[in-house]
Order: sequence, then structure tokens, then C-alpha cells
Amino acid sequence: MKMEDMSLSGLDNTKLEALAQDIYSDLVEDACLGLCFDVHRSVKQGYFFLDDTDQESMKEFEIVDQPGVDIFGQVFNQWKNKECVCPNCNRSIAASRFAPHLEKCMGMGRNSSRIANRRIASSNNLNKSESDQEDNDDINDNDWSYGSEKKAKKRRSEKNPNSPRRSKSLKHKNGEFSSSVSTDIYKYNYNTGISYETLGPEELRSLLTTQCGVVSEHTKKMCTRSTLPEPELVMESDGYDVSDGQVLMSRLHWDGSSDISPSDSASSKASTTNSDPKRTKKKKKPSSLSLTAVGVDRGEREDRGGSGSGGVGCSSSSQSALGLPGRKKKPKLPAPLAPSIYDDLN
Amino acid sequence: MSKDSQMRAVINQKLIEMGERERLKELLRAKLIECGWRDQLKAHCKEVIKEKGLENVTVEDLVAGITPKGRALVPDSVKKELLQRIRAFLAQHAT
Repeated sequence: MKMEDMSLSGLDNTKLEALAQDIYSDLVEDACLGLCFDVHRSVKQGYFFLDDTDQESMKEFEIVDQPGVDIFGQVFNQWKNKECVCPNCNRSIAASRFAPHLEKCMGMGRNSSRIANRRIASSNNLNKSESDQEDNDDINDNDWSYGSEKKAKKRRSEKNPNSPRRSKSLKHKNGEFSSSVSTDIYKYNYNTGISYETLGPEELRSLLTTQCGVVSEHTKKMCTRSTLPEPELVMESDGYDVSDGQVLMSRLHWDGSSDISPSDSASSKASTTNSDPKRTKKKKKPSSLSLTAVGVDRGEREDRGGSGSGGVGCSSSSQSALGLPGRKKKPKLPAPLAPSIYDDLN
Repeated sequence: MSKDSQMRAVINQKLIEMGERERLKELLRAKLIECGWRDQLKAHCKEVIKEKGLENVTVEDLVAGITPKGRALVPDSVKKELLQRIRAFLAQHAT
């Protein structure tokens, strides 16, 4: 019919459509044939039925759809109420508590050793027996280096800072004076962990002029930071000479320690023990550019961005000359204040 | 008529030469597997085999039993897409 209209190229739509349909059915038939050959081969080779599971297994592993039971048919907390007998202490323990109990009972595992150490340390409070050497050393060295200060803070909750080792670190820093003081103080350390009321006024004064003495609310322990003037130590000292300035500058170049900035250390380290005696130092803040420079952000510091303490140290070293004279003005201020604050306690 | 068949032959040849037929075939196969057509048909094969007996199955048996069902089971979406592509090809190359 339409063949007369058909051009050589066959642009007729119906023809084209028929052609498309033909091509399509050819393709589908090809797919079917492919499948048939596949199946026939697998039948003749004998592996056609291999991927089927036998009826028996099908029944065994059928999906379970009952309430209170998972798809495998198991009950959820079937063993929760059962009790087990501990092989160590021969007690009957609930199943869910069995593993932690065993950990403590046998003394293996992380927490059990911590608890044991804590118990030992507190029981050795009144006798000077040796607790764990290594750990207390770290705590006691909190006065002279930034790194161990951090360690000390981390471990504070575990270890007792009021330990016999404390005097050891103070000794090698301050020489004779502090060692004699610290031995006196030593026996007070345990008491001040609780309250200041048990100490007499003279003892209290001698204690608090050399040490910080702030009792932490969390751990109930007394801060033993030294308040004495030290040539090495910059941050704690309330008064120092120009000669210390050189040491100060070398300190600044050292890895940044917020210890060097007394007013800041309280805020940045979130340590409650530093707040009281350092309070007076906060007044100096505007003048002491150099010390507050290191490590902590303050309004004065322009070069805070990105540079670590090293960069800060370098930049502030030029300012330290300015800072020093300013500092010099108020060395005496905290000392007379400290006794007056604590006089109220008496 | 001969012109018609001649034209068809030309187009088919073009289809094959340009690789379009192969591409269409692959496309169809992928789509059929994806939509589960192949598994359905395989299950049907099993029935045919069980009917005829495992040892005596021939290719012709299978083909005869499978092909009509296979043709019917192709989903509409797959059919439409394939026809679309074929028409596009024809429009482009059936000058």
C-alpha cells in the first residue's frame, strides 16, 4: 500500500516501526536462547540442581517469625538470670556481672590494678611505706617542668599527691631551705588534704608561705606548688631580680608553657588549685606582655595566630625587656598578702 | 518487497558493523537479570526438566518450552527502553 511512497531509504514510519519491533524481538530471542543453552549444558554436565538446598535443610533453617524470638529462633536474654560460680572465690555471681567480677577477683584487667593501688596508697597514709615509685615521682615533679605538670594533672585522680615522695623533688630544686621546710610540711600534707583547722597558726603560716595550699574540691588534695622565689622557675615566683630576666628569656624560647604566665595558668589549665595565690598576679597582666605571651590568648598578643610557643617566644623576647621593669615594681605584693588571707582561717 | 528486505539487510548490517547490536544485546541482558527475568525463567526450566526427565532433555525441548514464556515475561519498561534506542539508531542511520 504504502510501498509506492517508500523512498529508497525507507523513511516510512510504519516500516521503521516494524523494523524496530523485529530487531527487538530478535534481541529477546537471542537472550532466551542464551539461557536455554546455559541450562541445557548445566543439565547435561550435572550441575543444574546443585544450587538448590535439600528439603531437610530448608526446614531446619527456615526463618522464624514468632514474637519474643529472633529469626533464628533464639530467645534474647535467655542467660541473663543464670548464675555462675566463680572459680576463684567460689561465689555464685549473676551472669551479666560475671566478667567484671572475675576481673577484680583475679586481679587482672585495667581497673583492678588501679583500685588496688589506690587502696594501698590510702592505707599507707600514716606509715611511710613505699608506694609506687614511678607514679609519685611524676606527681612530685610538678614544680619545674611543663611536661610533667601535665602528667601530674592527668594522674592526680589515681595517685595520691600527698605521698612521702613529695619532698624528694623539692629538695633538688631549692636546696637546703625548702628541703627543711618540706620535711616539716610533709606531715601536714595528709592533714591538709582534709582541712586547715587541724593545723596551728604558726604551722599554717610556714606551710602557706612556701606552698600554694589550695585544696581542690574534686580530689580534696592540697596543691603543693612552691611559692618561693626560684632562679629557675619563673611562673610561681612572686619576686625576682633582673638577673632572672635572662633566665626568663631562655624560658620563653623553650616550649611554650602556660606555667610561665601565672595568671593564665589558672584559667587555661582549669586547675582550681592555682586560683587563689595567683589572683594578685592578674593585676600585673597589662604590664607583663612577655609572660602572658606564651601559649595563651590575650588581648595584647597580636601574633597569636598559628604560631606555637616558639614563635611567640621569639616575638615576645623583644618585649620582655619592657615587661621586666614593669614586673619589678610589684614583687613584694603577694607576700604580705598571703598571710593576711590565711589569717582568717585561724 | 525486495527493496524492503534489501533495506532491512542494509540496516541490520549497519547495526552489526557499528557494534550497536552488541551494545543493545548487553543492555538487554543486564536489564533482564536485574529485573529477575532470568531467575523466573530458570525456575520454569526446572519444571520443564522435571516434566521431561533429567536425562532426556534436549535443547529443542527447552527452547520450545521457554521462548514464548520468556517473551511474555519481559517487563514493559525494558521493552520500551530498548525500542527507544533502536528507533533512535534507525532515525540516525536509515538515511
